[in-house]
Amino acid sequence: MMAPIASPFHSARWFAELIASAKADRLAMEQLGIADLRLGLEIVDADGPPHMYGIVLDGYDIESLGEVMEKEFAPEVVVSGPADAWREMISSIETNGSADAAHTLNTLTITGLPFSVRADDAMGHDKVFRYMGTLQAIFDAAGSPAQVSTGR
Amino acid sequence: MALGLDLGYLERSARGEFDLGWLRNGHSEWGVQAKPSKTGLTLRDIAIGSYGEVPDHAPRRTMAPRGSDVDPDVPDLGYTINDKAEVWSDNVLDLYEEAVSRQWSATRDIPWSELPDLDPDLEHAMCQLATVLSEVEMVAADFPAKWLWRINHDFVEAKMFLCTQVMDEARHTEVFRKRALANGGGLGRSSAVVERFLQLILDAESYDEGSALMHLLGEGIVLSLFRAGEFLSPSPVEKKIFRLCMQDEARHVAYGTMHLRYRLDRDPSMAEDFHAYLDKGEEIIAMIFATPEIVEPTAILAAGGVEQASELGTAAGEVMRHQIIGEYLKRCQHAGLDRRGRLHLPEALIQGVPGAMAGAEA
Repeated sequence: MMAPIASPFHSARWFAELIASAKADRLAMEQLGIADLRLGLEIVDADGPPHMYGIVLDGYDIESLGEVMEKEFAPEVVVSGPADAWREMISSIETNGSADAAHTLNTLTITGLPFSVRADDAMGHDKVFRYMGTLQAIFDAAGSPAQVSTGR
Repeated sequence: MALGLDLGYLERSARGEFDLGWLRNGHSEWGVQAKPSKTGLTLRDIAIGSYGEVPDHAPRRTMAPRGSDVDPDVPDLGYTINDKAEVWSDNVLDLYEEAVSRQWSATRDIPWSELPDLDPDLEHAMCQLATVLSEVEMVAADFPAKWLWRINHDFVEAKMFLCTQVMDEARHTEVFRKRALANGGGLGRSSAVVERFLQLILDAESYDEGSALMHLLGEGIVLSLFRAGEFLSPSPVEKKIFRLCMQDEARHVAYGTMHLRYRLDRDPSMAEDFHAYLDKGEEIIAMIFATPEIVEPTAILAAGGVEQASELGTAAGEVMRHQIIGEYLKRCQHAGLDRRGRLHLPEALIQGVPGAMAGAEA
């Protein structure tokens, strides 16, 4: 049973609640398999500096590190996009229970727009694809109507 | 010494007179006690003491487990890959564990009953793409299988990883064959160009050559195709298929990239050999980029139909091609093989890809 996400997007608490929701279905997450990833999720507001939230996948563990400084967090890969696009993705998940065809993480990153994937090297870059099922499941854990505030 | 049945031993052991040489004359480590880490007892957890020491050159050619006491009369099993650098990668232990834990079932985990009826053009396109993928995926099982029995058992972790790849590719072949047959379309056309690339991999004269062609070039391209497939999928069913395959394929590419890096770190003089292997592969890949059986279904799926495909689909194809080539160049670079400026692809295919043109800056 997913816990409702009450905190506003985007915030450290929102990501903490997202991860808690994903971890609530422990069996489903474990069935996706082990992973090893330091992922930065960068949200670029129309006005103001970008915000990065850190997520660490370590074996079967998933941890939200809250808002992080990129240099200190040293992510292997960063998924970056404008805040409106993140909100639209979350709204889609909220409405449909999981991402619809136009709002999967792969779809949103494949052309570099609206989300880009950046990494210092090819191994880090490819980890997004190596763990795509896990990452999609994490975001889909936000998927229940009226449980997620997208800030709209 | 010829092996023969020791009748005397049968009689002695029947009287309770055991040999116990295996117990008393052992030289392997007694007292070693691997501790499970948080995901269980992993290959990395048991890579301890002398058991974790993988020799650069295998001292014998047997299936004796690395670190065991070996009977001097063991036969020579004739392994031809006896140098660690020929197959190793620094991430192979972790990739094996990851592969085992991330297995899935094409029968159980795909919601086949939810496949929607599609417009006939889209169904044809999806089935043609599934045909190609069902065809090419099996070479990535055949190639490791061809070389597995030649790889010395001292590099057993690399062999085990390749076994997971064989299973992964069997499942990919299965899932795309099932997709082609599950919604009324059936199989499409197999093309000669594709088969020529598969032949190049299967006929590779060394594991080095085949691995560069398959893990780095071929599977890198297929990884991009899987990403595109997820993007272009007409229903959530195909999206799930491509997403699951994408994860497996990225693992194989991660092995191939890091294997090449390991190889070149230890023998940089091999770079020109690898360039030559990839020169040959890229020449065929160039033809694949102009193969209707691959280009057109992708364009039709991208555009949502045949009529729109010439404009929308062509643009999508160009984006995809740039992505494939760009990502391939970055993997080569990470492996220590700079292909920038020396790709064997026509200028028309690489224009606009950063670093791809001769003399261009990355």
